[in-house]
Amino acid sequence: MGNIADLIENKEKRVLCLGNEAIARGAIEAGVQVFAAYPGTPSSEISGALIAAAAELDFYAEWSTNEKVAMEIAYAASITGIRSMTALKHVGLNVAADAFYSFMYMGCKGGFVTVVGDDPHCFSSQNEQDSRWLGVSANFIILEPSSPQEAKDFVKHAFDISEKFEAPILLRSTTRISHARADVQYYEYESGFKEGDLEKTTRFKCLPAIARANHPKLLEKMERVKEWIHESGFSVVEDDNEAEYGIITSGISYSYVKDALKSLKKTIPILKLGMVSPLDEKSILEFAQNKKNIIFIEEVDPYLEDRISALFIQNSLYPRIHGKCNGITKRYHELNSRIVAEGLIKAFGGELLSLSEIQKAVEETKDFTPFRPPLFCAGCQHRAAFYELSKVVRKRDGIFSSDIGCYSLDPWVTDTIVCMGASIGMANGFARVIKDKPIFALIGDSTFFHTGLPALANAVYHKANFNLLILDNRMTAMTGFQPNPTEDIPIEDVVKGLGVNYIVEFDPYDFENGKKTIEDALEHEGPTVIIMRKICANEWWRRTRRKGEKIEVFHTDSEVCIACGTCIVQYQCPAISWSLDTNSKDKNYTVIDPAMCTGCSVCSQICPTGAISKVE
Amino acid sequence: MTEEYQMVIVGVGGQGILTISDIIAIAARKKGLHILGSEVHGMAQKGGSVITNLKIGKKLHSPTIPEGSAKVLVGIEENETLRFIKYLEPRGIAITSTTVLNPVSWKKNKKAAIEAQEKIDKNLAKFKAKIIKIDSEALAHEAGLSLAQNIVLLGALSQVEGFPLSDEELKEALKERVPKKYIEPNLKAFELGKNAIVNSN
Repeated sequence: MGNIADLIENKEKRVLCLGNEAIARGAIEAGVQVFAAYPGTPSSEISGALIAAAAELDFYAEWSTNEKVAMEIAYAASITGIRSMTALKHVGLNVAADAFYSFMYMGCKGGFVTVVGDDPHCFSSQNEQDSRWLGVSANFIILEPSSPQEAKDFVKHAFDISEKFEAPILLRSTTRISHARADVQYYEYESGFKEGDLEKTTRFKCLPAIARANHPKLLEKMERVKEWIHESGFSVVEDDNEAEYGIITSGISYSYVKDALKSLKKTIPILKLGMVSPLDEKSILEFAQNKKNIIFIEEVDPYLEDRISALFIQNSLYPRIHGKCNGITKRYHELNSRIVAEGLIKAFGGELLSLSEIQKAVEETKDFTPFRPPLFCAGCQHRAAFYELSKVVRKRDGIFSSDIGCYSLDPWVTDTIVCMGASIGMANGFARVIKDKPIFALIGDSTFFHTGLPALANAVYHKANFNLLILDNRMTAMTGFQPNPTEDIPIEDVVKGLGVNYIVEFDPYDFENGKKTIEDALEHEGPTVIIMRKICANEWWRRTRRKGEKIEVFHTDSEVCIACGTCIVQYQCPAISWSLDTNSKDKNYTVIDPAMCTGCSVCSQICPTGAISKVE
Repeated sequence: MTEEYQMVIVGVGGQGILTISDIIAIAARKKGLHILGSEVHGMAQKGGSVITNLKIGKKLHSPTIPEGSAKVLVGIEENETLRFIKYLEPRGIAITSTTVLNPVSWKKNKKAAIEAQEKIDKNLAKFKAKIIKIDSEALAHEAGLSLAQNIVLLGALSQVEGFPLSDEELKEALKERVPKKYIEPNLKAFELGKNAIVNSN
């Protein structure tokens, strides 16, 4: 379980692991030599595992500054003949897109695999983008595993196919594969670092004349892949014994189909596609030719449905199509076996256990289960920083452009959150049209190095008047405390080098000083930079406990507390709650959970009656 | 055991939900059973509502458990038990802590919090499940490890009829999963949770 010893032990065995750890093991078994990635849920554990493994085994792995850089590192290794890989989340694939659209024209040499983690249902993302579209439009060969075991095995196949066709591979996972926990069969592997070399050729120069010649070659290559997949074993037909209905599916959706059919007690022919681009046209047409109805089950977009429906028309095949087009399943959010079963009932009938009794109870009790949104952790330095900021921003009716990170959880001042680096990019725009209010951009250290730098250079160059707040918590906390360049490159030096004149820094736990520092910065022409620096409280708490050091916690004096709610209602520290001592309904006061308190002291600074103090 | 045993573990991010799901998974694997679970990582973990799915059996496919289909629910926070009890099959079993962690909206409104608490039994009863309540906070404290409420509930789970893993199997797995210096208080927390059920039967 996140166990590095299991991950690297060179032995055939069954291991209980996360889908992402299985993918990492697949890369090790395939002999990956270079791995680079930027973290992003649900892909981060692949990279975490491989970077930890690289420290023990003889290959190279790193946390890169962004997905494009990571993919370029891996691609460079590949064209020197080395097996290489990157892993990213779906929106990270957009960042890397500029690079890989051209990689396709040139092709690769050593196996080159990109693992993308899509996030249907937006568990930890800003959209539900279906990466298969981006993949197919760029001419990636796309594999879609349906379980953690398959995910691991497909990684190995991916490297082989990539080398066979000199073609980049996209392996599409989703949250429910990446964050599934299952027992997975591991195999032995060969290790040992190899050096690469770059062949002197025009092939790797994407100049117009060369690209013009490469494009038809790429399309011809994809035709060869299409011929080959029919025999590859990636398309699996199950229970093909009737002519009325057939289900075409791929990835995690296949598992929902299996459980849905079980709950409906039905056997229906299934075609499961392991490779979703290029399409295995022969297998698909063979499967469909004698069927009156074809049902597509897939998450989010009708990718298979649209492409395969077109294929049917091109081949004069006219089964009735069921899927997103007639509402069998929705075009948004994730599926489960019940949703799929309900969809299948719409196509061919059947019955499920009624949930009406449960739904009635849910309706009657829903007011008693209020939304519990994710919050800043107890002691979080971001909460402190935002509380200070909120005092200034609200007073001045400021415009607040935020970014992607833990700080997206701000409940007080944020107006916009879009994508990595957009805080500064958009502040450049706001500065052009909003003149009578202060404009703020806020970004974390990792996101600043990811895509914040070009936008800040733009602001300095064009003299955009806004205040940039950089929350430097010394790591990429949101995705699991990964290291990033802030460890070695002082952010104040970077912004100074970019030409920012007004740069200040403060400790967000120092409440009055923080407020004053922000106020002062507003007196200066922007772009100004305010660095709020404090190590992630969560990680600090963990490290301190691990060292066995005592954490000095705070408590409330119930006699002094006037129950004004400043610490609970306004500051919202999760370690603080109302006393639910029903014997004292008249005397209300707050209590601080000593198991959660990190001793940051901010509540004691903002308490108007001085009721909160350190436990002596 | 039946072909597939489905369960959900619920609570608030940070309560050790993944730890007990790991322990169950380790124990199941040792017994030669397959395991398939689904967990929440990233943003949702931070103090938000958390639900983890776990399937134990022979031939497993999808990693998630739809509403109305889990045999047992383990709830480390009582309001979260109420939120997620819909995942239980009709007349399934809910083992729930009596611990309450108020959501932000209730921190603003003590009346709502008290009302919700007064009505919790009535509300849970509407789902027609078998409810087993455990004061995991007191028992974890008694075991000398206030963070071990999850393990108290795991001990209670070991006594549920039809649960495919024995208390001994779970304790062996626990020893593998928790840091060495915390094994003793965790085992004590496990026993206290187990006895809470034994004594109430």
